[in-house]
Amino acid sequence: MANVRLTDIRKSFAKTQVLHGISLDIASGEFISLLGSSGCGKTTLLRMVAGLESVTAGGIEIDDRDVTSLPPEKRDIAMMFQSYALLPHLSVSENVRFPLRMRGIGSREEQQEKVAAALETVQLGHLSERKPRQLSGGQQQRVALARAIVSQPKVLLLDEPLSNLDARLREDMQVELIEIHQRLGLTTIFVTHDQEEALSLSDRIVLLNAGRVEQQGTPDEIYNQPATSFASNFIGSANLVPVEITDSAQGPVAKLEDGQVLHLDPNEAIRGKATLALRQEDLTLSANGMGLKAKVRTRVFLGARNRYVMSLAGHPLRALTANDLDFANGQEIALAIDPARIRVIAD
Amino acid sequence: MVRAVPGWLHIVGIIFVALTALILLAPLIVVIGVSVSESQFIAFPPNGLSLRWYQEVLSSNAYLNAAWISIQIALLVTLMATAIGGAAAIAIHRRQLPFSDTLATVFLSPLVLPTIIYAIGMLMFWSSVFGPVTPLTLALSHTAIALPYVVRTTLAVLAESDPYLEEAARTMGANRLQRLWFVVVPQCFPGLAAGAFFAFNISFDEAVLSLFLRGPTLTTLPVQIYSQLEFSPDPSVAAVSTIMIALTIVLIFVIDRMLGLTRFASA
Repeated sequence: MANVRLTDIRKSFAKTQVLHGISLDIASGEFISLLGSSGCGKTTLLRMVAGLESVTAGGIEIDDRDVTSLPPEKRDIAMMFQSYALLPHLSVSENVRFPLRMRGIGSREEQQEKVAAALETVQLGHLSERKPRQLSGGQQQRVALARAIVSQPKVLLLDEPLSNLDARLREDMQVELIEIHQRLGLTTIFVTHDQEEALSLSDRIVLLNAGRVEQQGTPDEIYNQPATSFASNFIGSANLVPVEITDSAQGPVAKLEDGQVLHLDPNEAIRGKATLALRQEDLTLSANGMGLKAKVRTRVFLGARNRYVMSLAGHPLRALTANDLDFANGQEIALAIDPARIRVIAD
Repeated sequence: MVRAVPGWLHIVGIIFVALTALILLAPLIVVIGVSVSESQFIAFPPNGLSLRWYQEVLSSNAYLNAAWISIQIALLVTLMATAIGGAAAIAIHRRQLPFSDTLATVFLSPLVLPTIIYAIGMLMFWSSVFGPVTPLTLALSHTAIALPYVVRTTLAVLAESDPYLEEAARTMGANRLQRLWFVVVPQCFPGLAAGAFFAFNISFDEAVLSLFLRGPTLTTLPVQIYSQLEFSPDPSVAAVSTIMIALTIVLIFVIDRMLGLTRFASA
């Protein structure tokens, strides 16, 4: 267990700069997610913490020790790869023992005890003599996890470890990761492009966009108080509506591009050109109630819910509704939203 | 996907396969037949049935010496070709060297080099620079022509391997030597074994280089068989050839048991 400090990390490949100065303080035992779409630099940053990628500028400290120029094998970290990277010629138990063997930790007997304990943790004790190719994807993934925790590394690095699993297994593994983190308290850096995964697993989320930190905070903060239009669109895929905010007798109102107006929370302070972030699940649709007029374009049946794609002031707008709401394509409907649920982002 | 094959094409295919099998196998059947003949002369079908020519071969110093030399040279070639070819394949695969592609071409070029020209050149080069031809000369030149096979089989298994294994090993604390020994070499092993098998076989039955680079005390088994056939042909030639065929079949079975032949097919 150790803290990790990144100071103004920059990275360039040839002439392209992919990370533009990232600073992060990760507390000992914290579970932090680097969240972003592909190409945002999250994996590069993780690989730099591992030592697999050189640092163009900036510094990395693990456990208050500068490791910026230390090779990965001397960093006392463990990393779980997207492909699991199990050694195909070694049995499950030999794979899990590998880091102990390479680092010369303990006698053979002690190593075998630790391997057995790690395999128990991921409930794979009974498969210890199998070869990786004889295991299912989910089992291989557990072996990789056991191998990553067996040496009690200072930092556990996870590179989209759940992305190759089907939805059901992924949910199981998320629960398992949370439990293991609670039990072992390893400082963990988790890279993902899946916002739900980041929200459900992390103590803190660092949202990356184009090589910069867009916003960081607890899952609750990130979800409920997105600071930028990128953040609100990325987390919860909110609809972004350009408006102009002015004062009226009933408090601040937002004027849409087509002239429709929407009443905002009386305490809203921002005026002038701004963007409204409207969550899909916060919109209430009705055939002829009060609210903004929008036109239905498509309905997508999702089982438990329906998604309606509408047209509002010329922009596509998506809403999640109960699955018994039934509107025809082209029908004009009314959109209502609780002013308290509207997030206003100044342009 | 493959569309339905018309019936007549199917028949043509069968005939083609049958002909190929015939051309490959008929000579072997003749050789095996001749080897069990009682007669002094090479004749097929054989006259009578006996193992006298096998006895003859196994008690002939000329054959046994030649076989021993062939085995020693083949083992040396196997060792050198596997070590050099394996190392070259690993280096080419990583693409860390400049001119990786050029290097790959150089290592595969002996495949298209006419052996006879290489043999003449090697003979001239060696005698003018180092003097008389030695077993090492032959082993070196066999190694040169065996290298492409090791390089190709090893590259083939490396291409299938997980590129993140070595990085993963680094994060697990493995230093350079540990990575080579515990990660890279085991990954290459099926390719190296297949390459070693090819290298041994190529050296063991290579005739052209062995003929040019022979000496009074340096006669390999293929050269011995050739001289025997030229100067006093008798069924002992067939007997020794049959032994060679049997050895090869045994080797193939061993390798197949260890690794599966399909891997060579892809190489």
